[in-house]
Amino acid sequence: MRNMLLIARREYLEQVRGRAFKTTTIGLPAIFALIVGVGYLSNLGLGANRQVAVASNDPLLAGQIRQKLAGDKDAKARVIVAAPATPQDRALLLNKVKDGTLDGLLWVDTATGKLPTATYTSQSAGDFITAARVKSALNHAIIDERLIGGGMQQGSADALVNGTSVATYQVKMDGSVLKTNAEASFWKGYVMAILLSMTTMIYGMNVARSIIQEKTSRIFEVMLAIASPSDMLAGKLIGVGAVGLTQIAIWLVAAAAILVSPFAGAILTGELAVHITWTEAILFPVYFVLGYLLYSSLFAGLAATCETEQELQMYTPLAAAPTWLSFALIMLVINDSNSFWSVAASFFPPTAPVIMFLRMAAEIPPAWQFAVSIGLLTLSIWAVLWFSTRLYRIGILMYGKRATVPELLRWLRYS
Amino acid sequence: MPVVELAQVTKTYESKVAVDHLSLSIEAGQMFGLLGPNGTGKTSSIRMMMGITLPDTGSITLFGKPFERASLKRVGYLPEERGLYKKMKVIEQLIFFGELHGLHEAEARSRATDWARRLDIDDSLHKKTEELSKGMQQKIQFIGSLLHDPALIIMDEPFSGLDPVNAKLLEQTLLALKDQGKAIVFSTHRMDQVEKLCDSICLIDKGQAVLAGKVREIKSRYERNHVMVEFEGSEAFLQSAEVAEAKNFSGHAEIRLRPHGNAQKLLREASACATIYRFELVEPSLEEIFIQTVGGKVDA
Repeated sequence: MRNMLLIARREYLEQVRGRAFKTTTIGLPAIFALIVGVGYLSNLGLGANRQVAVASNDPLLAGQIRQKLAGDKDAKARVIVAAPATPQDRALLLNKVKDGTLDGLLWVDTATGKLPTATYTSQSAGDFITAARVKSALNHAIIDERLIGGGMQQGSADALVNGTSVATYQVKMDGSVLKTNAEASFWKGYVMAILLSMTTMIYGMNVARSIIQEKTSRIFEVMLAIASPSDMLAGKLIGVGAVGLTQIAIWLVAAAAILVSPFAGAILTGELAVHITWTEAILFPVYFVLGYLLYSSLFAGLAATCETEQELQMYTPLAAAPTWLSFALIMLVINDSNSFWSVAASFFPPTAPVIMFLRMAAEIPPAWQFAVSIGLLTLSIWAVLWFSTRLYRIGILMYGKRATVPELLRWLRYS
Repeated sequence: MPVVELAQVTKTYESKVAVDHLSLSIEAGQMFGLLGPNGTGKTSSIRMMMGITLPDTGSITLFGKPFERASLKRVGYLPEERGLYKKMKVIEQLIFFGELHGLHEAEARSRATDWARRLDIDDSLHKKTEELSKGMQQKIQFIGSLLHDPALIIMDEPFSGLDPVNAKLLEQTLLALKDQGKAIVFSTHRMDQVEKLCDSICLIDKGQAVLAGKVREIKSRYERNHVMVEFEGSEAFLQSAEVAEAKNFSGHAEIRLRPHGNAQKLLREASACATIYRFELVEPSLEEIFIQTVGGKVDA
């Protein structure tokens, strides 16, 4: 026991003090934030501050289009209206597009009794976002014009065109009804499932890599004179697992600090509001530890049978297959988190951590399902550990030779 | 009571017999040399003593009891293929090894510092292992195997890769440990070291002990048929009928006599043609015995 804890402490301190830990602890969230930030800012800027001309022989329709474009809070396009416009006006405006004075020209040709025809000309063929906004504004304006022409009030026509929003509510297990945001819940579950699978895989691989490195450096021979193989494996699993928990704790504390800041408060409200429940906060580390132990003990057994990191890498995709399976089941779980297959996947130990978090995003499953899921995971960890410890015990000692059954039996007796 | 004893130990890997019915016994206060050409079973034998591999047949006892892991707390081991944690600082690594052997951190630190001073590497204690030369790393491993003051020290090729100064330092350290009553087993190819350091040896060839016992007894089994001559004058006596083989190094000749060759007759012949400063009849060196034995040309 003492040696196991000493080995765990060494593993923990060496990894936490290492450059890789510091880099990934700071670097991964920074890169993630950068990607999200750049994407968000780019999205805000796309199609904005464009100067677009709307030319039509129908001044009323042209005015409606300008109003719709000006009302698009994301687009913020400056719109020039030329109406009623002649073919000469069109040619003049096209020249302005050519010389870059205008970003685009929407030419709308109306004829009584027919649907208007329209062309949008711009310098950039790839500016589909502005083109889409112009198209949307045009269609809304035409419907508006027709509705008003049919006698409807401007306000009623606008309301009809803008559509009706649907508020979503969820009936909780205690019978209470709460307003929810399905999209935000999905993304919350998705992000947590990715975080869970990513960290269990990363730290499972760290265990495997550490074993291969020690096997290659032959430090095992020094260590075996001091500690038993099971102490060495258990110490390694505990130490590397603690590193993972430390890193996740740092990320969660940092995320919490950001979420309560005024900046985040301004962004993460309304539709983007995310609420982490106590159940999720408690079960996340539980499923991390269980998932990590399952995968790392599997990787440890594999690593002990390999001679080089290259050899290990060949087996890694096979060992990681259940994680891929989990993500392949996303749509199934999202569509019906209580279907037979969703529940079965959240019980199946290799997919349980990820699937359970996806299910929780939609609806918190009943307590007995958590109990079954955690119970089966624990049982499977015990089984994989039993197998891996024996593989490890023999694998690290057998240089370039497969263990035979009599040798395995002797080692069992010896330990 | 022997500190370590192997009785009829056999170890086979696939179809290769690495160790074949090997028996040996090592007492406290004894320096024991395990000799043999490459791949003859020295490392396999050492690994079985450490419980790293198990014998197929035969038995191993440590400190008078059948092998058990608990006995390893009293054993210091330096394997042939040495490893250290490259990213760790030397002092942290030594403390870690000491703690694993049951020492408290302060005690491990104190002993590591003392040993580092003794082996002249105290300047490197706070460096990372990867920053040190191979020789320095070997000294650290040497210290790591001795921190817990083991009663039995097992070292596989402890002098390989060391320069003469550091090899001498390690020799002196091992002799001092032997004087403290430790049992020391080491394998080596360096016959001069075995001759200087070991009380007993076991020469292994193809997994079998082909020569074993106390160094003095083994050497006494061989005829004194080697002559060292320092002379000035004609070297015609080197062609004598008594001489089987002679090497002349400008006035210093090493001569091997024919079986039952007459050394006195050779001395008379040498005196007749040269001035003799030294004429010494010596026993064969361990290296010669080693080569003769392994080569199947044993004269004894």
